Amino acid sequence: MTALPLLLALPFVAALALAALPRLSRTAAALVAGAATLGGLALLGGMAGAVADGEVLRFKLDWLPSLGLAFSLRVDGLAWMFAAIVLGIGALVVLYARWYLADEDPPARFFAMLSLFMGAMLGVTLAGNLLLLVVFWELTSISSFLLIGFWHRRADARAGARMALTITGMGGLCLLAGVLLIGRIAGSFELDVVLAAGEAIRAHALYEPALALVLLGAFTKSAQFPFHSWLPHAMAAPTPVSAYLHSATMVKAGVFLIARLHPALAGSEAWFWMVVPVGLATLVVGAALALVQQDLKGLLAYSTISHLGLITLLFGLDTELAVVAGVFHILNHATFKASLFMAAGIIDHETGSRDFRRLNGLWKHMPVTGALAIVASLAMAGVPLLNGFLSKEMFLAETLATESHALMEFLVPAGALVAGIFAVAYSLRFVHDVFFNGEPVGLDRVPHEPPRFMRVPVEVLVVLCLVVGMFPQHTIGPLLALGVQGVLQGPAPEYKLAIWHGFNLPLALSAIGLVGGVALYFGLQRGINLHRIERASTGKRVFDALVRRLVDLARRVTRALENGSLQRYLLLLVLAAVVLGGAPLLEAGPGFGDPPGTPAGIAGWLALALLVAGVLAVLRWYRERLLAVIAVGVVGLAVSLLFVLLSAPDLALTQLLVEVASVLLILLALRFLPQQSPPERRRGRAWLHGVVAGAFGAGVATAVYAVLTRPTRSISDYFLRTTVPEGGGANAVNVIIVDYRGFDTLGEIAVFGIAGLLLHALLRGRAGVPGTLVPPQPARPAFLLQVSAQVLLPLAIAVSLYLFLRGHNAPGGGFIAGLVLALGVALQALAAGREALGAPDGRTWQAWIAWGLVVATLGGIGSFLFGHPFLTSSTPYVDLPLVGAVPFASATVFDTGVYLVVAGATLLMLAMLARVHAQAGDR
Amino acid sequence: MTAAVLPFVVGALALAMLLSLLRLLRGPGIADRVLALDTLYVCTLALLVVLGIQWRDGVYFEAALLIGLLGFIGTVALGRYVERGKVIG
Amino acid sequence: MNALPLWLDAIIAALLVVGAAFALVGAYGLAKLGDFMKRLHGPTKATTLGVGCVLLASLLWFLGTPGTPHGREILIAAFLFVTAPVSGHLLVVAAMRMDQAARPAPTEGRSSTRSVPARDET
Repeated sequence: MTALPLLLALPFVAALALAALPRLSRTAAALVAGAATLGGLALLGGMAGAVADGEVLRFKLDWLPSLGLAFSLRVDGLAWMFAAIVLGIGALVVLYARWYLADEDPPARFFAMLSLFMGAMLGVTLAGNLLLLVVFWELTSISSFLLIGFWHRRADARAGARMALTITGMGGLCLLAGVLLIGRIAGSFELDVVLAAGEAIRAHALYEPALALVLLGAFTKSAQFPFHSWLPHAMAAPTPVSAYLHSATMVKAGVFLIARLHPALAGSEAWFWMVVPVGLATLVVGAALALVQQDLKGLLAYSTISHLGLITLLFGLDTELAVVAGVFHILNHATFKASLFMAAGIIDHETGSRDFRRLNGLWKHMPVTGALAIVASLAMAGVPLLNGFLSKEMFLAETLATESHALMEFLVPAGALVAGIFAVAYSLRFVHDVFFNGEPVGLDRVPHEPPRFMRVPVEVLVVLCLVVGMFPQHTIGPLLALGVQGVLQGPAPEYKLAIWHGFNLPLALSAIGLVGGVALYFGLQRGINLHRIERASTGKRVFDALVRRLVDLARRVTRALENGSLQRYLLLLVLAAVVLGGAPLLEAGPGFGDPPGTPAGIAGWLALALLVAGVLAVLRWYRERLLAVIAVGVVGLAVSLLFVLLSAPDLALTQLLVEVASVLLILLALRFLPQQSPPERRRGRAWLHGVVAGAFGAGVATAVYAVLTRPTRSISDYFLRTTVPEGGGANAVNVIIVDYRGFDTLGEIAVFGIAGLLLHALLRGRAGVPGTLVPPQPARPAFLLQVSAQVLLPLAIAVSLYLFLRGHNAPGGGFIAGLVLALGVALQALAAGREALGAPDGRTWQAWIAWGLVVATLGGIGSFLFGHPFLTSSTPYVDLPLVGAVPFASATVFDTGVYLVVAGATLLMLAMLARVHAQAGDR
Repeated sequence: MTAAVLPFVVGALALAMLLSLLRLLRGPGIADRVLALDTLYVCTLALLVVLGIQWRDGVYFEAALLIGLLGFIGTVALGRYVERGKVIG
Repeated sequence: MNALPLWLDAIIAALLVVGAAFALVGAYGLAKLGDFMKRLHGPTKATTLGVGCVLLASLLWFLGTPGTPHGREILIAAFLFVTAPVSGHLLVVAAMRMDQAARPAPTEGRSSTRSVPARDET
């Protein structure tokens, strides 16, 4: 089944292509995005037959099997239906956006983000693994954030985007937690397993928390009360985005999730009581607030909230017929609401305003758009012969059939009726207040019909509303049946899609709603004039206040912890290490072994003497920094010697080089410090520091002793046995670094590179403080040093390359070679001044770091070419003269990256420190 | 014969390093201490070579090589710092 | 490892002993002599010679051993002969500068817990 991953890949490919070609014209960009969408629709169409036959299409690729994370895709009826909505509406939105975007909007960026979102949304619908679903879920939040903030120069767009991301992002975290719980209960994250484990999940003690967490995710995404307030503020997005994300697709992700997990989670008291009240409250609150908006899109946003509440409520009622109604309404709402948003966008586009108070009497200027909007509004209001009527009728019937607590049996239908009245009223307002009701007020231009093709998507959707409304059984019937089967994971119940069910209670409620809505609207317009209502969003105020609190709290915590005292940081870090490391040590005991000792020999005793003397000297001289540097140099040398004695040549080499580099860096940094550190004034603090340091030292000593006395042949045999056949290198240390633990190394060099860049950021444009032993003297040329440095540079480069190339088989490798190169260059700077360190702003070395990371990553990806996982070495050897057999391995490419990053970061640090140094000295 | 003298050679080098350490600790000037550190490095180099002979293993030569090539950078930097107050002009 | 001929073994042993003796003498000079300029002589000359002898011994020792690159000792010696004079020269310059500008006080370098630092910037 290769069509399935291809279907998912298409939008992402389009997004990448668009991102890579930022100069594309509007038409070209729309064509790229549209081609991906239509291609996806074609692939989806190809699956229709199999899915209709009740088959479930699957595709699975293990990702992190140990965590239960698999890249598995799964298409059943529900997924197919949702994917059809995503792609179908997506195609119309692309066409619409082609005409909607203004000349100054970058089209490639817009369509790239839109395609990214489309891919993410497809991922949510097609995911066959809950963890994968969460990944795509977060991706929809992020792409929605980008799209809402598309006009990033507008403050309201930025604020709206932030708010949406904050709320849906927090929901996403809850969802992740819930999914982890479900996976633990069901024993797998695979959807097939989870859906079949409904009984076990509901019976489990963790069912309620898992349910609550998952629902939090769904509710925030689907803008359910009280998390609804991000949706109206997301209206700052361009209208195609609102039509797509905030009516048809992304906000439906929440209800999709509820539908998706229906077999696993629904069917309990907890489900009813958690879902139904929220859905009901959202239904009523959304409908009521929709009526009093002054913004076209604001009205539609609150109406969307209300309709999402309706769908949620239906799934909460948890009967098979309610599921039918819910799925049906998802389809209907997507069609009429997307078309209404597009109509609102056309009006905005052609009049320059979305304000009800200014838009009046547009019928004369744009009758076609008006007619389309009126039909779609009637569908929204639930007027017969339109699709909205059918699902609303089913909804009312289901609310009347509620079987629960008496209070709910009354509240649910009553709420439905009230919401129905409001729905009619706000739909009427959308029509009457825009197209009739007097003349336009203060518009900049004379409104007229939009370009022909901008109206096409609206026309398509409105025709769908009409056709589905009149001939439901033959149009939407099969698709609905597919969706329902997918939700229920079984056969659909008996239901009848018909316009006329005879005179019954739901019809009566509908009639009351219609009459009441008309009366309500005209009554309010006469009585208090809806144009006068000014209201700020309570949700926004609450959100802002909460965010402010949070930021304040974060500031206070930060101030308490990060008070500028390095001693404090060091104390906290060491204390944390003592507690975290000491607790298990105390609990489990150190586990000393009793192996035969190795004689230290003269050299061993010598190293020990140097070590002890060096440490004591540091303690004695710690306040005089220069002396301390020298004493630390002794310690470093002793450690290198110890590595030699303990047969660790790679470590010895590294330690030696790091030692030399540190002396250089510290001497450069001493510039920022006074020559002597002040004496400790408070006795108590000195004691505290002493105790903590002593505990830390004792802990480290214990750990080292334990490691030394334990059996040495634990995993080392495995490495020594396998490095040559599997890693293709005889130097186990290097093979571990670049192959077995290559991912760690990638992370480490990234950190190293970041450290270099951070130093660059800190020191850029800063002067040092004078604080030297000797006042800076004018530099005299040091000929001897210069000559020797010039002689040594090519030698250092040669040694560095030599150590690099043979590193896979003998001591050496990218890290060591990079340091050698860096020190060779540093020597030039010592001799000839900082000009030897490249461009004064460190540009050169930044490029080294960047290229190093690129090369390392490419080297890792390179192993895919050989059919291996990321960062697996593959080794043909090449014989080079003098050096010997050199592994032409993908690991060598990776090691090249390490080499570049290490040399680049070291030299960047040196260059930046030297620059500040020189500036201070010149003064 | 070589095998017989090796312990003494190692011992002599170790003694030399301890003497250097003594100077490093006693000073009195910064220059003395830097010189002592430099001597420590050079003696370590010799020691590594001798250990290589003793263990019949050439694997520590790279360490000696690097001390020879780059070990003096620390000395130069320290000397510069003492002399000029800045390491890189 | 094939046994070395006696004469070669003797030469190697002699070189090692001489080298170690040079190093020891140099270090002894460093430790015992009266002031910096005198002390400088010890390590700069003696240790270089000492290391040279040791390197020569190693070169001869590994001549018979297959599988290890030969002649690295010469490379090390070359490096050392380039770098050692430079560091020695630099130290002399530094020491002279210290003499002129700010001859360290007698207690300089010792722990000076009682002296109040001139600048207290932390």
